[in-house]
Amino acid sequence: MLALAALHWLAPLVLNPYYATILARIGIAIIAAVSLQLVNGVTGQFSIGHAGFMGLGAYASAAFSVYLGAALLDSLGASGLVRFLYFPLPLVCGGLVAAAAGLVVAVPTLRLRGDYLAIATLGAGEIIRIAILNVDAVGGARGFSLASASHTAVDLRFESLAGVYAVAAVSVAAIARLVYSGGGLAFRAVREDEIAAESLGVPTTRVKVEAFLVSSFFAGVAGALFAHTEGYIHTNSFGFVRSFELVAFVVLGGLGSLSGAIIAAAVLTAAPELLRGLGEWRMVLYSVLLIATMILRPQGLLGQRELLGLWKSHGAARS
Amino acid sequence: MALLEVSRLTVRFGGLTAVSQLDFAVDEGALVALIGPNGAGKTTAFNVITGVYPPSEGSVRFAGREIGGVSPHRICASGVARTFQNIRLFRGLTALENVRAALQGAHRNGARDVTRGPGWQRGERAAEDEARKLLDELGLGAFADARADSLPYGEQRRLEIARALATRPRLLLLDEPAAGMNPAEKQSLRALVAQLRRAHGLTIVLIDHDVSFVMNLSERVAVLDHGEKIADGPPEAVRRDPKVIEAYLGAEAEARA
Repeated sequence: MLALAALHWLAPLVLNPYYATILARIGIAIIAAVSLQLVNGVTGQFSIGHAGFMGLGAYASAAFSVYLGAALLDSLGASGLVRFLYFPLPLVCGGLVAAAAGLVVAVPTLRLRGDYLAIATLGAGEIIRIAILNVDAVGGARGFSLASASHTAVDLRFESLAGVYAVAAVSVAAIARLVYSGGGLAFRAVREDEIAAESLGVPTTRVKVEAFLVSSFFAGVAGALFAHTEGYIHTNSFGFVRSFELVAFVVLGGLGSLSGAIIAAAVLTAAPELLRGLGEWRMVLYSVLLIATMILRPQGLLGQRELLGLWKSHGAARS
Repeated sequence: MALLEVSRLTVRFGGLTAVSQLDFAVDEGALVALIGPNGAGKTTAFNVITGVYPPSEGSVRFAGREIGGVSPHRICASGVARTFQNIRLFRGLTALENVRAALQGAHRNGARDVTRGPGWQRGERAAEDEARKLLDELGLGAFADARADSLPYGEQRRLEIARALATRPRLLLLDEPAAGMNPAEKQSLRALVAQLRRAHGLTIVLIDHDVSFVMNLSERVAVLDHGEKIADGPPEAVRRDPKVIEAYLGAEAEARA
């Protein structure tokens, strides 16, 4: 709490907008990576279409803000408290829309395994992206700005870095609690051995759909945060390149490790910016970094372990 | 009435008939052994009873209800648990987590795991205590926090049994629990099975290759060969049955005998 407050008041004073943007993107990447980890690392299903759900959350929340939120904020006045109370709404809206799409995608595709599931999720992600591209109400190929035509005075952008990290903290805590509890063992049981899990009473299809549902909800929240911090979105940000980037976060962080995904998301989001001084060699070095990690630590940074042994112990149950 | 009643069960995989017209009933509280050479259809029969495959023909009734073609987790919830011939533990989880995952089974907390309101911790603690009790009962207490795949082979087999018991079954199906064990280990496994049967009031069906393992353990032995039941009765009678001897040693041996 104290850290968030400090971030809220001090960040604008000491950080220039460039660094603030990078920090915000790291927070968003963390939410997206941890939510993907629930499906790919914890439940053992390989989804590579996660960016599609982020995009859907981004566009749904942006549309919500432009077409409903602007009028709402205009009539209530733009005091700090009103804005503080308002911003969770588009986030939840983005999350719910993405979760609904996740359910539609999950029910047929989670019958598939391995490569087939990966291809199906990749296709689903692209279908979502191209569908959005063809909706004129959200800008189509021009992209979508968070500005209302009729309420021009209202600023729909959300610039508090502390807000981004508060949402990230809540999202990560929710997923961590879900995974590291007795009920959460079902996700890991499905990953370890689906046939055995099923024979022990675990409804494996339902467990997989649940994981996908929760995962796409938080992907939508991440997308909604992205839309509201950037102020302008385009479907190009949510293509398969972004999906693969998210897969890189969870694989390099260590499949199954939430803290590994957090570290990888932070480092790999910051790396291309930190390496900017190297000019065109930047992406070469980034690739070398990825390849080196794969060779030196094929199990990822943390393997299946967590940085805090705390989470592993099912809360206080073992104390 | 029989607890498990398999009648005229046939299972085909394409042109191969793995189990053919099998009739097999198990009374409540009984311990029946299912033996037969490799490829006789023993494991296939288990897989149909536990819902892994649907029957091609015939029916499987458990406690009076038809379970043929029902999904495995529902069959488990109705009181059938099993172990696997090629051990299928949750290898990356600890022994304790293996048992807890089975204990939890279909019973999930969902949002309560996230909010962790009052009573949540008590529930977690109760589940953990129960899991530890089962591990202790199977002599695995010392391995509770070890990864399942780091356990010695015999302990892995026992952990599979502990995990199956965590689902609180009425009928326990053990698929070659003695595979790969030396005579001393087999002996202690026999004692364990008999003791668990008494302590949990279980009905048990046990697969093995070898009639000698089940001699003093089960009161009834059914023999499968090429998907068909060729003998069914007390172990001594089955051991002397010429059809059984033929199945195991071939017709020539029978002629010499």
